[in-house]
Amino acid sequence: MITKKITVTNSQGFHMRPAGIFTAEMAKFKSTISITANGKTVDGKSLMYLISACIKCGTEIEITCSGEDEKEMMDKAVSLIESGLGEQ
Amino acid sequence: MIKGIGVSGGIGIGTAVVIKQQAASYEEHAADPAAEKNRFHQALEQFCEQTEKLAEEMAQSAGEKEGEILRGHILMVKDPFMQSQIEEQIDAGSSAEAAVDFACTLFIQMFESSGDELTIQRAADVRDIRQRLFELLTNSGSSALSALPMGTVLVAEDLTPSMTAQMDKAAIAGIVTQNGGRTSHSAILARALRIPAVLQVENAAGRIQNGDKIALDGSSGEVWINPNSEQLAELEEKKKSYEALTAELRTLVGKPTQTADGKQAELCANMGTPSDLPAVLENDCEGIGLFRTEFLFMDRDKAPTLEEQFEVYKKVVTALEGKPVIIRTLDVGGDKDIPYLGMKQEENPFLGFRAVRYCLKNQALFHDQLKALVMAAAFGDLRIMVPLVTTVTEVREVKAMIASIQAECQEEGISFGKTIPLGVMIETPAACMIADLLAKETDFFSIGTNDLTQYVMAADRGNQEAAYLYSTYDPAVLRSIERIISSAHTSKIPVGMCGEAAADPLLTPLLLAYGLDEFSVSAPSVLPTRRTIARWNMPEAGQVAEHVRSLSTAEEIQTYLESVQK
Repeated sequence: MITKKITVTNSQGFHMRPAGIFTAEMAKFKSTISITANGKTVDGKSLMYLISACIKCGTEIEITCSGEDEKEMMDKAVSLIESGLGEQ
Repeated sequence: MIKGIGVSGGIGIGTAVVIKQQAASYEEHAADPAAEKNRFHQALEQFCEQTEKLAEEMAQSAGEKEGEILRGHILMVKDPFMQSQIEEQIDAGSSAEAAVDFACTLFIQMFESSGDELTIQRAADVRDIRQRLFELLTNSGSSALSALPMGTVLVAEDLTPSMTAQMDKAAIAGIVTQNGGRTSHSAILARALRIPAVLQVENAAGRIQNGDKIALDGSSGEVWINPNSEQLAELEEKKKSYEALTAELRTLVGKPTQTADGKQAELCANMGTPSDLPAVLENDCEGIGLFRTEFLFMDRDKAPTLEEQFEVYKKVVTALEGKPVIIRTLDVGGDKDIPYLGMKQEENPFLGFRAVRYCLKNQALFHDQLKALVMAAAFGDLRIMVPLVTTVTEVREVKAMIASIQAECQEEGISFGKTIPLGVMIETPAACMIADLLAKETDFFSIGTNDLTQYVMAADRGNQEAAYLYSTYDPAVLRSIERIISSAHTSKIPVGMCGEAAADPLLTPLLLAYGLDEFSVSAPSVLPTRRTIARWNMPEAGQVAEHVRSLSTAEEIQTYLESVQK
C-alpha cells in the first residue's frame, strides 16, 4: 500500500468531466485506489463518490493505492492530477 | 402579470405547453432477478445510445459545453458503483425500477447534503437520469417534447438537460419554470440557445394551463398569462426592437473596442459575486474593472477565512484567463448591516468610519483579505484597488501591508504575486484635488462616479429633497473627472471608470475626449458601450467636450448631450 498527498490545481477540481477522465484511467488498473479529502474517504474508481467529495481547485487530497500494480497506478493518478485532468 | 427571475433575455410570445412530470409508480418487487437485470441493462444501453445522440445534437445546436453536460450523464450512469448498487438491489428481490430509484436516491441525498453549490446541482442530473431510466423501463417516454407546435412556451416544474435536448428548439418561443436559478442547467441552456426564459415562477405548472397564451420578458422576469390585445401589441413591439438590437450587438462580439477613427479603449465588466462570471464572459469583456468583495462578508456570522477568500479570488482570476481583474478591498460602512464587524450606528455614515478607514484600523481582517489577494495574484493578472482614499498616507499604509505580506509568503514558501498593481478609487473631492500626488504613489486610478457625484455635490440621491442636485452632468462633477484623468496621464498611469456613468451613452464622447483609458460597466452594458464608442470619432468627441466646457448647468449639459447623442 502506498500513500501520497497532492494538491488539486485544475480550475474545476474533480467536477464531472475531470473526474470522469480520472476514473476512466483508474479503471484500467487492478489495484484499489481511495482518495481522502475534506475528512471524507471515497473510492477513486467511482465518479459518483468523487463528485460527492467536493474536491476543488486548491484542495489537498491523500491518495492511497493498494494492489499488485499500485506503483504504476499512483504514478498515473499523480500525473493526471498534475497535468490538470484534461483541462487546457 | 406574475414574476420570476429572468435568466435568458428577450421577449417570448406563444402558446403554453405544460409538462408535468408524473411521479413514477412501479412494482417494488420482482421474482426473477436475472430477468430484471436484463431489463435494466437493456434500458441502460438505450439510455447511453440516446444520450450520446442527444449530446451530439446539443453540441451542434448549443455548443460543445452543453453537449458535455449530457455526456456526463453517461459517465454517471456507467459508474461501476452505481451499477453494482442497482444489481445488488435486484439480487435482493427488487424490481429494476425500485433498484434504480434506490441507487439514484442514495446519490441525490449524498450530493444534496454536501453543502457545496456545484455538487448540489449534480443532484438534478441524477434526478434526470432516474426519470429517463424509468421512462425507458416502462416505455413511457415524453415524446410530446419532440413534436411541439411552433411558437410553444414550455412550462414545467424544472427543465432537465435531457428534456432540453429532446425538445425541438426551433418550436420554442419561451421557457417558464418553477425551479432553477441563474446558474442552473436550464438557465445556461436557455441562454446558449437564445430562448427567452423566466425561472422560479411560483406554481407555474399549476397556474398555467395548456393552450394559454403566454408572453414573457426574459430580462425582467415578467410573465403574462393571457395578456390583453393592448399588452400584446406592446410586447410584440418590444420583441422586434430587442431582436434588432441583439442582432446588432452580437456582431460586436470579438471585435476590439475602438472609436470610428481607430482610437482604442479598454472595455471591462463590473461584478459583485462569482455567479456573475458566466454573464461577464458571455458578453465579451476585456477584463474585470471592478470586483466588489462585500458579498463575501455579508449574510454571515463571522468574517470569511483567508482560504475561503483565496478560493474565490483565484476562481475569478483563473476564469478570466490572463485578462486583468481589478479587485476592490472591502468597502463597508455604518450604512450596511454586518453585525460581526462591530460598526457603530453613525450620524453621518457616508462621512464616517468606512471602507479603507475601517480596514486600516482592523488590521487582522484587512491582512487576511490582502494576503488572500496576494496569493491569488500568482494565478493571473490580479490588481488590487482601494476604495474611498482621501490621503496619500492611506495609500502608503496599504502598500506597506502588501509588501510585508509578500515577504511573509516568501518566508512561508507559498506562491504569490510578486508585482501586483495597486490602484485607488477616486471618489472623494480630496482624492480629486490630490490626484497628482496619488498618481505618483499608485499604478492606476478608477473613478467611482456614483460616490464622486454624491461627495462633489454634497447631495444624497436617496434624499428626495436633495436628489435634484445629484447629477453626473453637473460641471462640478465633469470638471473633477477631467482633472482626475489629466493628473493620471501626467504621471503616465491609466484611468478607468467603474460607476454607472461609464455605461451612459450621453457621456461617452466626453469620456473619450478626456482620454479615459478603461470603461468598466455591468455585463449587459458591455456590448452596448462598445457600440456607442464605435459610433464616435475623436475630433467630434473633442468638439462635444469643448462645447460642454462653455455650458454652466447640469440641465444645459444634459440637454446638449442628448441633442448630439449617437
